[in-house]
Amino acid sequence: MKKSALALALSVVATGTYAQSTDEKLRILQQEIDELKAQVQKPAAGSAAQTGSATTLSGYGEFNYNNYKSDERPTQADLRRFVFGLHHRFDDRLTFHSEVEFEHAVVSKDDEGEVEIEQAWVNYKFSDAVNVKGGLFLIPLGILNETHEPPTYYGVERNEVETRIIPTTWRELGVGVHGLLLGTSGLRYDVGITTGFDSGKLDDPSTGVRSAHQEGQLANAQDLSVYGALNYRRSGLLVGAGVFTGNTGQNGATNPLLKGVDARLTMWDVHAQYKVGRLDLQAVYADGKLADADQLNAAILATSAEPFAAPNRMKGAYVQAAYHVYKADKLDFAPFVRLEGIDIRQQEDPANGLFQDPHNHERITTAGFNFWVHPQVVLKADVQRYRTDSTKDRFDLGIGYMF
Amino acid sequence: MPRRLLILVLGLCAAAQALGEVYQTPEAFVAEVFGTAPAPRVLWLTRELQAGAAAILDHPPANLRQRYWSDGAKSVWILEDIGKEELITAGFVISQGRLDHVRVLAYRESRGQEVRDPSFLKQFAGAGLAQGDRLDRGIDGISGATLSVHAMERMSRLALYFDRASRN
Repeated sequence: MKKSALALALSVVATGTYAQSTDEKLRILQQEIDELKAQVQKPAAGSAAQTGSATTLSGYGEFNYNNYKSDERPTQADLRRFVFGLHHRFDDRLTFHSEVEFEHAVVSKDDEGEVEIEQAWVNYKFSDAVNVKGGLFLIPLGILNETHEPPTYYGVERNEVETRIIPTTWRELGVGVHGLLLGTSGLRYDVGITTGFDSGKLDDPSTGVRSAHQEGQLANAQDLSVYGALNYRRSGLLVGAGVFTGNTGQNGATNPLLKGVDARLTMWDVHAQYKVGRLDLQAVYADGKLADADQLNAAILATSAEPFAAPNRMKGAYVQAAYHVYKADKLDFAPFVRLEGIDIRQQEDPANGLFQDPHNHERITTAGFNFWVHPQVVLKADVQRYRTDSTKDRFDLGIGYMF
Repeated sequence: MPRRLLILVLGLCAAAQALGEVYQTPEAFVAEVFGTAPAPRVLWLTRELQAGAAAILDHPPANLRQRYWSDGAKSVWILEDIGKEELITAGFVISQGRLDHVRVLAYRESRGQEVRDPSFLKQFAGAGLAQGDRLDRGIDGISGATLSVHAMERMSRLALYFDRASRN
């Protein structure tokens, strides 16, 4: 009897507990359903496939292998660049954009690596037609300077025209206004005033004025520059042009002999890209003039341990064609060929032993392929032939990514 | 000079008032398609649908349900995905398993607004899903807007995928 009473009591308690637990669960479920219903009935339409965050991360990078035909240059594999971008939206109109780049894997005083701020700028969007930006931003010349993520261009190495003539990745400190003209016409303008070059820092004429760009590092700003660009984009088509001009003497801040010397640099380009069916075509012409080269030579002679003739005119062009022979799912295989010409003319001064370097007149042929294993990840291989400096002839392999 | 600067600032402010990054609200887009918008429906994302959506987006969908509008003949899907840094909001109208038309409703990146170009969006009209839930046609890209173009392609595939699921 006692056992039966105990069993009954336990059964009642257990049933009561179970009933209480089930009621509680039902109550919670009902509450969740009500919340979901309320969300569904919200007046705002749409539902995000992915929620946005005020702060976002992006990145790109590449790993390259260069096998030179000549023994004069070492065969190397290199983590060429590792870049991450940090972006933040303060509100609907005010945003911040940045990219930090690591080059050559290791950065120390005994190594080749570098850390650079490639971009860091604030943008205020009044409308699609009017954006105002300020900070360290990319100069809109050529195609590669603004769009330089490895999956977006052909070839393991960046093309030489947009490296030696247009000094990609070329950025300056300044302010600019940019936007789309005429609604959705595809016509984009970008104008502004920025820091410029400092010709007192010239030390390598083989890359034109590249060694004189200041990259926002305690940039001498006595002489400012202005730029303007206009690009027309439709699906498969890009046609554009840009110009950048400003004095580079910087009132002798780096080299006192350039005090009062203008040394005006004017650089411009025209470019086009056309994609029709499986065919990709691209061409760029870039041209620059650096004035007062005689005075630059005098300054170089007085201060440089290894004097060289100052560059006074630099121009280059390339044409490129690629064909997507295989496209399936995420895979895309496209062989390409690129023909480039570089001509960097220097101000000769025979009396002082300053002469034109013949290597600064170069013709390059590049042939190879891009193989996208995903739209944002690419494997590359190519062969490059240099008509003037054949020690640069090489075979290249690369892996690139962006996100 | 200060007067000119003031005029410029006022002009910019006026432009800011006149134009914004939201070109059309989802409500207005739905109303435009149907005249009188039908009540929204909900597609619950089962595990299978979540897996399919993740394969298309290259990331898992954030939500467990997707709202859409349908009058039986047409369905409208408002989707969002990130281009490079910011969300793009686009509206997709589907009829008989094919995209009828596509519109960018909001674009928040500082570059790449060219994806709003009607000649770009026209390429999606008539597109359906092929094997592997890919579009059955190639879409020509826009230089300088690569990631935004990819996002538009992903969203168009997702809209077609969801539409197919909603009819099963």
